[in-house]
Amino acid sequence: MSQVLSGLGVGLNAVVAEVFQVAPAAALPAWAKSAAGVEAESTALKTAIASVAADLARLGSAADETTAEIFEALTYLLEDESLFDMAVAHMDEGWSAGAAYGMAVNEFAEMLAGDAAFEERIADLQDLSKRVQASIAGIHVGLDLPQTGAYVIVGEDFSPADTAQFTPAVVGVITVKGGPTSHTAIICRSRSIPAVVSVAHADEIQAGTSVLVDPVGDRIVIGASLDEATKPLEFANTGRDPLVEVRANIGSLDDAEAAAKTGAVGVGLFRTELLYLNESSQPSIERQRDLYASILAAAPAGPITVRTIDAGSDKPVPFLNMPEEENPALGVRGYRLIQDHRSFIEDQLKGLEAARVATGREIWVMAPMIATVQEAAEFAALARSLGSFKVGIMVETPSIAALIPDLEGVVDFVSVGTNDLSQYLFAADRMNPSLGALLNPWQPGLIRTLERIASQAKAAGIYSSVCGESASDPAFAVLLAGLGFSSVSASRSQVDAVRAALSAVDESQAVALAKSVLAAKSAEDTKSAAVAALSAL
Amino acid sequence: MSSVELTVEVIDPIGLHARPASQIVKAVKDSGLTVLIGREGENLVKANSPLMLMALKIKTGETLKVSVETEDEVQAASLVAEIQEFLKG
Repeated sequence: MSQVLSGLGVGLNAVVAEVFQVAPAAALPAWAKSAAGVEAESTALKTAIASVAADLARLGSAADETTAEIFEALTYLLEDESLFDMAVAHMDEGWSAGAAYGMAVNEFAEMLAGDAAFEERIADLQDLSKRVQASIAGIHVGLDLPQTGAYVIVGEDFSPADTAQFTPAVVGVITVKGGPTSHTAIICRSRSIPAVVSVAHADEIQAGTSVLVDPVGDRIVIGASLDEATKPLEFANTGRDPLVEVRANIGSLDDAEAAAKTGAVGVGLFRTELLYLNESSQPSIERQRDLYASILAAAPAGPITVRTIDAGSDKPVPFLNMPEEENPALGVRGYRLIQDHRSFIEDQLKGLEAARVATGREIWVMAPMIATVQEAAEFAALARSLGSFKVGIMVETPSIAALIPDLEGVVDFVSVGTNDLSQYLFAADRMNPSLGALLNPWQPGLIRTLERIASQAKAAGIYSSVCGESASDPAFAVLLAGLGFSSVSASRSQVDAVRAALSAVDESQAVALAKSVLAAKSAEDTKSAAVAALSAL
Repeated sequence: MSSVELTVEVIDPIGLHARPASQIVKAVKDSGLTVLIGREGENLVKANSPLMLMALKIKTGETLKVSVETEDEVQAASLVAEIQEFLKG
């Protein structure tokens, strides 16, 4: 094995520590009949349920109150008497304990299906089913991370249940799969744990080996010291304004207040769905006005770009009925909700207009998941009839990316969501941990699409910006400015780093950087071309 | 054994979901009584299984029949009052 393995870095800080390999859970045995008899099998099931219940109690006692309540509720499902009786009925047919419990859980999952309120419970039940079956088979499922010391943990990918078990001893994370927007990446970014994801063969590193996690270099180096970590690009303070405006992405009042402390000029993406996920019924226009007004008032000075609700059956809003779909990413989501929920989208715009009047802020509104010019025109007409907004759309579908010239006179602005645009352009599910490398924003296929969007928008007199995760990378933000975008919008924690980069370059330098990036033929080469151009400043 | 039949109303905006279902089962088990719950005119289910209660898919605003197997009307009424509390959300 070579000493350097490349992947996708998460964060700016490097770390050196010993590797702790998280063993992949062995596959569950196939469902089989048993000759042991119902009595022996039901005893085995009882023992397994008790052991999983004890695990839940242990996890719950170490967790905060909310998590502890979740574990308690799970225990009730786990120990459900009807579920047990149904499993025993399958044992009567000759099935083994694990198979019988798995079948009984599937039957309940079917009975509960089709109701948005139960989607997560069904997922919980299936997770419990796996734990019970694993316990019967003698397979261990917990992570068993050390509590003390300092380790870089290595695993295939980590689920929310896994990251909840991260201990203070986890100082670095390496995953074999997973992309820049995987759950692992998001958690590590928010907790400032240095991580490199999508590192092939990392699972072959011997436990106990010292490894450098070098996110800035998009690599890990076995046996290297901290001095060898790639330094983040540093930009000279020119005292100039950034080449293009840098806005902030927000989703809550906390975000708005934190963004106001940065150098952000306004908000480039206000994700509104977070305001509705905890509402059990549709909030009144007045309540929406008050919610929005408090956030608008706190947001950094400048225009505030508000995205109308972006929910789908994978992130359902409790009071909108969203039936389960085979492919939620390709389903009825974003602006498509207008088919069944026109009044909700209208009320959202009315609430926003009332908040705009109350706060005097400049509001831009945009709709997500627009695929045709007709949809863009319909949304623009609706928004303009309900308020004094600048009106735009998100560019996330390849179809609308191909139609930018036709948006002339239809919308005032477009904003590119690079996470979803990548997912749809590369036909690579963001939730599929095996496809992380395709979702790397430095992929030439994405960059050339962005180049076309920026230049065609400019020609059509449409303001263009990028609000996806990629705009939070200072080097990528310089590329976007060089491609011709009018502004970028970054995570609030990255606003000042992006501003520093965009203040260090002038237009001709950014354009030259974009030109050299466009000439490169792979994701590695586009990024190196950008880094080389910036290092030469 | 005779039973006491009373009604409760589901006020919880999400309907009869996992949390109230678990609370009801816990209260019923603590009481040691046999309790049946369901819609008027339909088969009632034994309230010893949160999953069976959830599978009724009961929505906000529905009225439910609660049948408590006991002769002690006071005890039954107090258990049903407790169940009603859980359904307020």
